[in-house]
Amino acid sequence: MIDYTFQWRVVWRVWPELAKGAVVTLEITVLSMLIGLAFALVFAVVRRSRIPVLSQFVHGWVELARNTPALLQIYMAYFGLGAFGIHIGAYTAVLGAIAFNNAGYLTEILRGGLESISRQQRMAALSLGMNRFQAYRYIIFPQVMRIVFLPVMNQTIWAMLGTSLGMIIGLQELTGATAFQQSLTFRPFEFYFVAAVAYYVIAKTIILASRLAAARLFRG
Amino acid sequence: MIEIQDVRKSFDTLEVLRGIDLTVEKGEVVCIIGASGSGKSTLLLCINGLEPIQSGRITVDGTDVHARGTDINRLRQRIGIVFQQFNVFPHLTVLENVALAPRIVLGNSRAEAVDKAKTQIAHVDLTDKLDAYPAQLSGGQQQRLAIARALAMGPSYMLFDEITSALDPELVGEVLDALRMLRGEGMTMVAVTHEIPFAREVANRIVFIDEGRICEMGPPAQVIDDPQEERTRQFLSKVL
Amino acid sequence: MGSTAVPLYSSGFSWGDFELMLQGAGITLVLTLLSGAAGTALGIVVGWARTLDRWYITYPLVGYIDVIRSVPLIIQFILFNSVFAILGFRISPFWSGMFTLSLYIGGYVAEVVKAGIDSVPRNTRRAARGLGMSYFQDLRYVTLPIGVKAVFPAWIGLMLGLMKDTSLIAVLGATPPELLRASQIIINRIQEPLLILLGAGVFYFVMCAVISRFGGRVEARWAIERGVLR
Ligand SMILES: Nc1ncnc2c1ncn2[C@@H]1O[C@H](COP(=O)(O)OP(=O)(O)OP(=O)(O)O)[C@@H](O)[C@H]1O
Ligand SMILES: [Mg+2]
Repeated sequence: MIDYTFQWRVVWRVWPELAKGAVVTLEITVLSMLIGLAFALVFAVVRRSRIPVLSQFVHGWVELARNTPALLQIYMAYFGLGAFGIHIGAYTAVLGAIAFNNAGYLTEILRGGLESISRQQRMAALSLGMNRFQAYRYIIFPQVMRIVFLPVMNQTIWAMLGTSLGMIIGLQELTGATAFQQSLTFRPFEFYFVAAVAYYVIAKTIILASRLAAARLFRG
Repeated sequence: MIEIQDVRKSFDTLEVLRGIDLTVEKGEVVCIIGASGSGKSTLLLCINGLEPIQSGRITVDGTDVHARGTDINRLRQRIGIVFQQFNVFPHLTVLENVALAPRIVLGNSRAEAVDKAKTQIAHVDLTDKLDAYPAQLSGGQQQRLAIARALAMGPSYMLFDEITSALDPELVGEVLDALRMLRGEGMTMVAVTHEIPFAREVANRIVFIDEGRICEMGPPAQVIDDPQEERTRQFLSKVL
Repeated sequence: MGSTAVPLYSSGFSWGDFELMLQGAGITLVLTLLSGAAGTALGIVVGWARTLDRWYITYPLVGYIDVIRSVPLIIQFILFNSVFAILGFRISPFWSGMFTLSLYIGGYVAEVVKAGIDSVPRNTRRAARGLGMSYFQDLRYVTLPIGVKAVFPAWIGLMLGLMKDTSLIAVLGATPPELLRASQIIINRIQEPLLILLGAGVFYFVMCAVISRFGGRVEARWAIERGVLR
């Protein structure tokens, strides 16, 4: 039988510490997505334009982001950059690595979205007398938004969960804060269980919020 | 003999069949016509138990299709069905498409099944495509393959659901030819079709279904050339 | 010994270090293959059960999939490990990690499998049943083969993700160390992080390339069976 007494009060006592961790988690999620999207928008256009050196640079970035573990990317930022005399903190390292990763994946998502809009759509827009900008603004971009919405949301969830890797290099985001607090009490199960619930709630909130946003944006 | 008695069928609250009575004799060819959404496909699906019914009775050679104790998989071996679209197995070659069911359903040996399959494939004139995949066939060839696949089970009845309506016009002929051939061999057939001239040519009886009921039924000379019901006249004037 | 004695303590990258990394890459592959196989088997069953459309099956399974996809893998590793401890199972961190990885990837595979099954046109399944196939014969010979081939590229993507995620098993201190943990051990000793991490990156890159290449090959071979003409 189980002879283990669950003690939830020890977790409750330090909830402000965990909440602080959750704020860091959210911060990095939002920032890494914004940075990632900004890069990806430029990258996707570069990839489609096939400008020689630039396009290959983006291709290399995407491949690196996709084919190495995010933890390795964090190590690279945190330990590896030291070889170039660049020393950054855990927060910056995690933010940088997750943003690097987001940029890579989002580039592919946006590129796929752009590619799926047929040439005819653009032709049709131009033939109605729209200029190139108008064609993008009114015809192509709204369609791309719909197509990439779901993958971008999934990437957001991935980024949010990925911030937990910060714990390994000592960052006090939600998982890191949990690890630190439980190490003072030796009640790993209770602490991590509460953290798991918190992550679940955050993930569901992100999904719910973006669904609501989508319902408003993509009406009709 | 297929006997359909006062069959009613609904999808949730939508009543699709509202009391259908129809008997198909051995060797008979019955063509079902009617507007889109009138319940033609649903009726075929009910005949071999692919959709349940809410009331009434359907028997095939005396066996109640929808009765609890009926071995439906066994009964279906006697009733072949071919659909409008998406019905050949894309992951199997022509030969495998036809040989699969005899092997796993009838329990034939591989050699037996292949033999049977080759006979039926020759029957629909696809022998030169034995190892091709459906993606490499034209629409007409795919439909002939679907017919061969059903025939390999040695059915006594064949049900066809608009098997030419997804085809390019120039491919319709070869598929209808296959049906003519089956008719010549005495196969009992129930065919939903939009090809009115074809129906007039091959059918012993035409059944016009309107909003889930049989509105008019009889030999082609009557239903097509001299319809008694106003609804039939309206429908025919639209499709002819 | 002569004048060219090897120092007892070397701060450089040695052959033994390389072997440790090679072994780590092997462990990474073993973790990926075993948990990938177990998770795929689990995912096929769960994905199929999801298509049955019975609320008492759907609800618990959706719950499982939902939780697995909304909680960081690191936390799952630690939680399952402590659950094993609480329940009194004596299980090594390595196998506890393997268990978690399988359960984790199984949740993702289930969604992909369900999408695959749902993608099979209704008339294709009706045609199978119309030939007299039983429900399970249809599933085994028609629906699963077609559905699985349809979502194969997505499955390859999951396996690539899984391979990268095996690196997180480090939080359990599982032995023998997989590639990234092995690299970390060497870095701690020789203090050459950039070099070692680049090396590890190359390993991961090559392994990913091999899986992708394999996936691409199979996909090309299946193209025609998926109804795509090249
Ligand atoms: N699985 C289903 N669930 C709910 N409604 C259905 C289903 N299948 C068919 N229906 C509805 O039942 C009605 C009859 O459909 P059915 O396919 O039998 O018509 P049909 O006469 O074959 O039409 P068509 O000529 O377009 O093929 C339609 O209104 C259709 O929308
Ligand atoms: Mg129909």
